Amino acid sequence: MKKRMIPLLFTVLVLVLGGCMGPSEGTTFSRSLLKKPWEEVVKQAKGTDIRLYMWGGDESINRYIDEWAAPRLKKQYGVKLERVPVSDTQDIINKLLTEKQAGKNKGTVDLIWINGENFHTAKEQKLLWGAFADRIPNVKRYVNRETPDIRLDFGEETQGLEVPWGKAQFVFIYDRNKVKNPPKSMAELKEWVRNHPGKFTYPAPPDFTGSAFVRQALFETTGGHKQYVRGMEDERFNRKAEKLWAYLNDLEPYLWREGKTYPESLAKLDQLYANGEVWMTMGYDAARAAGEIRKGRFPESTRTFVLDQGTLSNTHYLSIPFNAPNPAGAMVATHFLLSPDAQLTKMDPDHWGEDMALDPERLSKEDQARLKNMDRGEAILPSDKLAKHRIPEVPASVVNQLEKGWKSHVAKK
Amino acid sequence: MSRRLFHRFHRVAVFLFILFIVVPFIPLLLWSVSAGWRWPHVLPESFSLRAWTYLFSPSSGLWESMGVSLQVAIVVTLINLLIAVPAANALARYRFWGKRGVEALMYAPLVVPPYVAIMGLHLTFIRWNVTETVAGVVLAHLVPTLPYMLRPLVISYRTLGFQWEDQARMLGASAWARFRHVVLPHLLPGIAAGVGLSLLVSLSEYLLTLLIGGGLIRTFPLLLFPFLNGGDPAIGAALSLVFAGMTAGLLITTEWLLRRCYGDSHRTQPF
Repeated sequence: MKKRMIPLLFTVLVLVLGGCMGPSEGTTFSRSLLKKPWEEVVKQAKGTDIRLYMWGGDESINRYIDEWAAPRLKKQYGVKLERVPVSDTQDIINKLLTEKQAGKNKGTVDLIWINGENFHTAKEQKLLWGAFADRIPNVKRYVNRETPDIRLDFGEETQGLEVPWGKAQFVFIYDRNKVKNPPKSMAELKEWVRNHPGKFTYPAPPDFTGSAFVRQALFETTGGHKQYVRGMEDERFNRKAEKLWAYLNDLEPYLWREGKTYPESLAKLDQLYANGEVWMTMGYDAARAAGEIRKGRFPESTRTFVLDQGTLSNTHYLSIPFNAPNPAGAMVATHFLLSPDAQLTKMDPDHWGEDMALDPERLSKEDQARLKNMDRGEAILPSDKLAKHRIPEVPASVVNQLEKGWKSHVAKK
Repeated sequence: MSRRLFHRFHRVAVFLFILFIVVPFIPLLLWSVSAGWRWPHVLPESFSLRAWTYLFSPSSGLWESMGVSLQVAIVVTLINLLIAVPAANALARYRFWGKRGVEALMYAPLVVPPYVAIMGLHLTFIRWNVTETVAGVVLAHLVPTLPYMLRPLVISYRTLGFQWEDQARMLGASAWARFRHVVLPHLLPGIAAGVGLSLLVSLSEYLLTLLIGGGLIRTFPLLLFPFLNGGDPAIGAALSLVFAGMTAGLLITTEWLLRRCYGDSHRTQPF
């Protein structure tokens, strides 16, 4: 008997478990909240909890949320914020995709830190709740939503589905004791590299930062970034990019190890810089150098520079997923995180050090003074200098074209 | 073997142990207290307790996550034992229709890459309404851990014929007594290996826990992974040390428990 029971039991188990399957019930959230007056939203949010899903790999960012923002949000609006650490936001997008497919209308994510590819996917798959940006008073008051670097998220129209939270900008990092006159353009950089063989290199794309460096070079060698903002068809792009490949190949013999090999990640390049093997590194974060100095990794004499024609910048955003259990709480939290106080504190290198999403000109006199007097250390460029040298990102299609082209024209040549 | 030769062997063994197990922990320990460590310095230039202070601050969520991790791993392992002992018995000592198929299904998680199965699993769990619960995470962890429990037990059962049990039956032992005094002592090495592996696999599971637990069931890897990814070597190292300590502690405790319960009374030497 025993011998026959096992497959039978197994079949029964499968059937029973299968029988449990069925559409899960859940409340469909009407978007009527988007039409209600703000006071109503605040009232509805009072006494609720929200969960903010965000990358959790930086101590000072975690502390800013847990120790600065959360207690104040609780005190001012009665909304309790819980931070959920994430290693890769793409995992959360996949989670939302599956939830959408399963018809799960009450998820776990109220607010998510998002941009670029992940926003693109989320928008395309309709994973976001709605155009709530217009409803947030602090966004209306302090954010200039018409500037391209806020309206477009890597070339994708945000359409109010997400609210800008902060800005990152590409900067070059150098050691002041070794580099007396940092270059101001890609042409000057080439000159500098020729005069200092072996002291410069960049991470091999598709490393995120290496890829950004190549984009930076693309803009300067082919006449500006504007032509790429809407993407470009392959044939025209390949013709344009010839000048870029020529530039990078001219550079190659003077790079670290004569360009025979490239560091495969920014972490590797940073290590070379920290060890003094190369004299420059780079980063898609204007405050990163300051952080590395504080951690003792980079020498005290580390400084940053941008190019005269500007460096890439991107904005990252907060958004509410389609199945957020508490959209009212998420809206109030967004409002709070976009307040001048929260944004200026975030900018302080003791907290996070990242540039704010607000338009400095729209701030009150006191806040403008606070911004001006903020001492972010010498390793971070002044915010008006950064703001004046900012160019927007280009769509993912251009990034792909570049990464493919770099492999065949520079790496394999 | 002469005594001297034995001593020499002993020394070599201790040396190798130190070389491969202890030495890798030294840089981790140094990283966790370093505040600046640049080539070509052999030791960090300055020290700070920044990483450890952060770990013990409420923001890190360290203690809760350790509790959740241990709870999940232990429950998963107990359930695995309940499933794997009879399953291994059937797979090792009985013949039945469809045995190959059942075996393949049981071991499938070892060969099928987890990414392939994870989405379907998530979808199913949503339909069963068990996402965001500890029970759901436990259920999900059974998938990758069960084969690791099953495999050593199948091997243990294979070396156990029916003769001993037959003899015990002839002497009047009940089914439970036969299992308790004949089968179990023989299985002990397999159980020890399976329990260890099951605990380890469950403790280091990341993606399943994130998706099924929805980020609400926060196990240790959920805390650790962002730091390893983000490049804060000090905090990453400190967390890795705590993780290694926790795992080692758990393994030593289970081994001690198993030894105490069965090892001595039956004079078997499973370890």
